[in-house]
Amino acid sequence: MVYYIYDGSFEGLLTAIYEAYYRRETPEKILSSDNVQNSLFIKYVHINTDQEKAQRVYDAIVQKISPSAAKNVLYAFLSEAQDAGTAIYRYLKLGWKMGKSVDSALAEPHVFRVHALRKKVSQEAGKMLGLVRFRLLKSGVYYAPIEPDFNILGIIAPHFKKRMPNQDWIIHDVKRKLAAFYSQGQYAIVPFEFKGALPLDDEEFDYQTLWKEYFQNIAIKSRINPRLQRQFMPVRYWKYLIETPGTQAKS
Amino acid sequence: MDLHTKLKILGAAAKYDVSCSSSGSSRRNRPGGLGNASLPGICHSWSDDGRCISLLKVLFTNCCAFNCLYCVNRATADVPRATFTPDEVAQLTINFYKRNYIEGLFLSSAVYKNPNYTMELLIATVKKLRKEYQFNGYIHLKAIPGADPLLIAEAGKYVDRMSVNIELPSSQGLQLLAPQKDRDSIIRPMGFIHSKILQAREERKLYKNAPLFVPAGQTTQLIVGATPDNDLKILKLSESLYKRFSLKRVYYSAYVPVTQHPNLPAIASPPLMREHRLYQADWLLRFYGFKADELLDETQPLLDTEIDPKSAWALKNLHLFPVEVNRADYEMLIRVPGIGVRSARRIIAARRYSSIDFETLKRFGVVLKRARHFITCRGKFYGERNINESTLYQLLKPASTQQKGISPASKQLTFSSLYPHVFQPEDVYTVITGEM
Repeated sequence: MVYYIYDGSFEGLLTAIYEAYYRRETPEKILSSDNVQNSLFIKYVHINTDQEKAQRVYDAIVQKISPSAAKNVLYAFLSEAQDAGTAIYRYLKLGWKMGKSVDSALAEPHVFRVHALRKKVSQEAGKMLGLVRFRLLKSGVYYAPIEPDFNILGIIAPHFKKRMPNQDWIIHDVKRKLAAFYSQGQYAIVPFEFKGALPLDDEEFDYQTLWKEYFQNIAIKSRINPRLQRQFMPVRYWKYLIETPGTQAKS
Repeated sequence: MDLHTKLKILGAAAKYDVSCSSSGSSRRNRPGGLGNASLPGICHSWSDDGRCISLLKVLFTNCCAFNCLYCVNRATADVPRATFTPDEVAQLTINFYKRNYIEGLFLSSAVYKNPNYTMELLIATVKKLRKEYQFNGYIHLKAIPGADPLLIAEAGKYVDRMSVNIELPSSQGLQLLAPQKDRDSIIRPMGFIHSKILQAREERKLYKNAPLFVPAGQTTQLIVGATPDNDLKILKLSESLYKRFSLKRVYYSAYVPVTQHPNLPAIASPPLMREHRLYQADWLLRFYGFKADELLDETQPLLDTEIDPKSAWALKNLHLFPVEVNRADYEMLIRVPGIGVRSARRIIAARRYSSIDFETLKRFGVVLKRARHFITCRGKFYGERNINESTLYQLLKPASTQQKGISPASKQLTFSSLYPHVFQPEDVYTVITGEM
């Protein structure tokens, strides 16, 4: 049995798929280097990431399968699920055989798995578009910390670029220590760590209070339904909100 | 009066308006502007009653000249009154929007002085937002019943969605509870907005830059349980609204007893389950090809509260079942209880390549608990043997019949990303499955 190990980057995964094809090997699994457990009976092959090879695989996905397959693959990768690499590899292998109709072959477990991962990731990204909360800092920058389950920063950043082109903003994935910095039409996603209190703008407190009060008042008392609220907005997303959900249910 | 108090009063006064969605418009940002609209809509928070908060929903004023009995803001009610200025509303919207609290503004109002005067104030506000503040986010504006059509036409140029609330499903109900409104003053503006929307759409086919008019369409709201109108009547009304005015949505609002009056029913809590069933039936009308007459008739004018309307329909039509999932057409598949638009589409796509087995159905999201009684899979029937309508009814009932809130399927949104070619508009799909 052969396992391919890549460095955890998207390009790394695509390189691994490239190598599997040209070495005429069928690795049992393709894993990211951070979830490898050593076993005696398995041969581990470490793959060196190569931009050029990755690009060739990417182009082959777009041209020989479909652009939406490329999206499926990228989103499934961003899920950071342990089996994502393997599922993507099998999905693509089938895809190069079937062409764009691979996305209809949902009875195939790997196709279904990739679709399921894609859906999870795009759902969280969609939810995050609403749940990001900016705080206006003294410096005039809008800062928003988030802690999403999946690595969706790259998916949501273009949305805010289009929406708020004239304000400088930072979206900070605290868990992954990544941040998207935006200023004047361009953004960059870079490793970023920050600890300590933020100097907020003087106006900021007032608007936060207004929002909190509004949030309290918009609920209809005779319909209070904390279960439904948590179903749409799981508690793990509450940490960086301005408003405080669930307070009326207690009283 | 300071802004905090005003927002408290006018936010709380607007909460009985159900509509919250920010979908249907793809208004783009302009250079130098702030904001855009997202076609499938975005929810920003969920309040403690489990309803989504997408727009800053406020009344412009709650000083009302009308005296509708079901309403908290009626003229004779003893409640604190407040009125915004257009600038205050604009400032709030912009600052909330910049912090990503909201998707835009939902502006409604009590009838201050008279309908035209109120409408002018609303127009002044949205005009200020669009022109002065360069705001391109979503705006949903209420058309005040009885306002001049010219004013409504003016307002439509600046907003994404407009709505006129019908509130009470029959003219008798209106006469009894809202004597200052009449059916005509509500239906006429709806017809007018509809014709203007059609006109603008035609113009945009010819000229790319023809002005937008209410691009996200219009909606309305019906109060359920304040009058004796039955579900059949309500669904028939919705059906004709969808057909005649191509409404995007009819919202149903369980009547919340905010006041007591001999003309109003005395109920302890809002009829939430009835509201939920009406929404389910409404979805069946819009996305599942059902007609109101199929779901209900004069002998049975109320929706079953125990089981969902599709199951109830299937029980009445047992002679059509079971259907073979590997062969049935799409129209029939979505009529099977437990199979929805999404799973039906998966089945159709997958069976072009291989026949589908029972295990796969489960993965496709088919609710087999209900569906197994109505399908065969590769010719095999998986339901109970020897059952009739009444035993099946018991099987379809949820184990605990405690009241649950409304829980439409979660929303799927998709966006362009770092990589080229990757963006595929799936918005169309969410529009079809009706998840907004």
